[in-house]
Amino acid sequence: MTAVALPPFWTLVERHGDELLVHARRMAGPGNAEDVLQEALLRALRAYPRLRDSGHLRAWLYRITTTTAIDHHRARRREVPMDDVPAGTVDPEYDDGGFEALIGPLPDGTRAALHLRFVEDLDYDAIAERLDCSPAAARQRVSTAVRTLRQRLTP
Amino acid sequence: MTPPLPAHLLESLAAAAVAEGLADAVFTRVATPLGRLLVAQGPAGVVRIGFPEEAEDRLLAEVAGLLGPRVVASDAELAGTTGALSAYLEGDSDRLELPVDLRLVHAPFRRAVLDTLHADVPRGEVVTYAALAARAGRPRAARAAGSACARNPVPIVVPCHRVVPGAGGVGSYAGGPARKRELLALEGAPV
Repeated sequence: MTAVALPPFWTLVERHGDELLVHARRMAGPGNAEDVLQEALLRALRAYPRLRDSGHLRAWLYRITTTTAIDHHRARRREVPMDDVPAGTVDPEYDDGGFEALIGPLPDGTRAALHLRFVEDLDYDAIAERLDCSPAAARQRVSTAVRTLRQRLTP
Repeated sequence: MTPPLPAHLLESLAAAAVAEGLADAVFTRVATPLGRLLVAQGPAGVVRIGFPEEAEDRLLAEVAGLLGPRVVASDAELAGTTGALSAYLEGDSDRLELPVDLRLVHAPFRRAVLDTLHADVPRGEVVTYAALAARAGRPRAARAAGSACARNPVPIVVPCHRVVPGAGGVGSYAGGPARKRELLALEGAPV
């Protein structure tokens, strides 16, 4: 039995699956989104019983979907041209800052938007407060940041 | 509002999870003459059947608490179980022999009551709460037998609908007295 009371996994899938598919589509493109999301959710399921914290599960699923999309991009390339992204930092099994290492090399504004959204799991109102802008602008910045990240990962 | 995940994605995810041994429990929802039932199953058998009035979140949390948090939904993985349940409730079959796992029942006497009921009270028969308590070893515990039935995690398969008050009538039922009457009529019980 697990040390913390984790919700039944499928409750998370039914609650967040639709938005994760949208995220997978943005990260991996419409043709790959379903494969990426299925692989991401399987990775999440493998790691699930070992989670020590039942908070921020939504952000955790976003991060796994992001890293799975990145691995998908990598697998489709013969070599990895991204010298600035440390290899092996995107193991989704452990919630140890792999995503932060991945976004570390990005420009400050881009990194901040991704961090607030997918590490701190803030909504756009809260992100707006932190970035001192309107919620609409916050949404725009996160969206741009996701696009930037994806462009960096696409050959 | 974004559209829900495609069913084929969910089904294929669940199949991969089961194939890899990642699922602690599998559940599905099945339409029956008694309404839409939620059926949850673990390695040892059916662990929970829920009527439509029960909160799904709470019911799945009970299952996760017993078997583990990796609870997945799959129609295909439970097709054998739901097929047997549907056939029975639609009157196409008069046997409902599914393995059950009664570990959600923690109190030993309540567990004994349900084990006795499952093993000893066949289709077409009814038993009073007092007689069931006696069969389970405590003749004066009719009330406890009643609460065991009221909190039966696997109704229909463990036939608490066959337990009736000594004073007559069908008595109460977790799924409501109307469903109890419907089940007893289906089974041709003398009530």
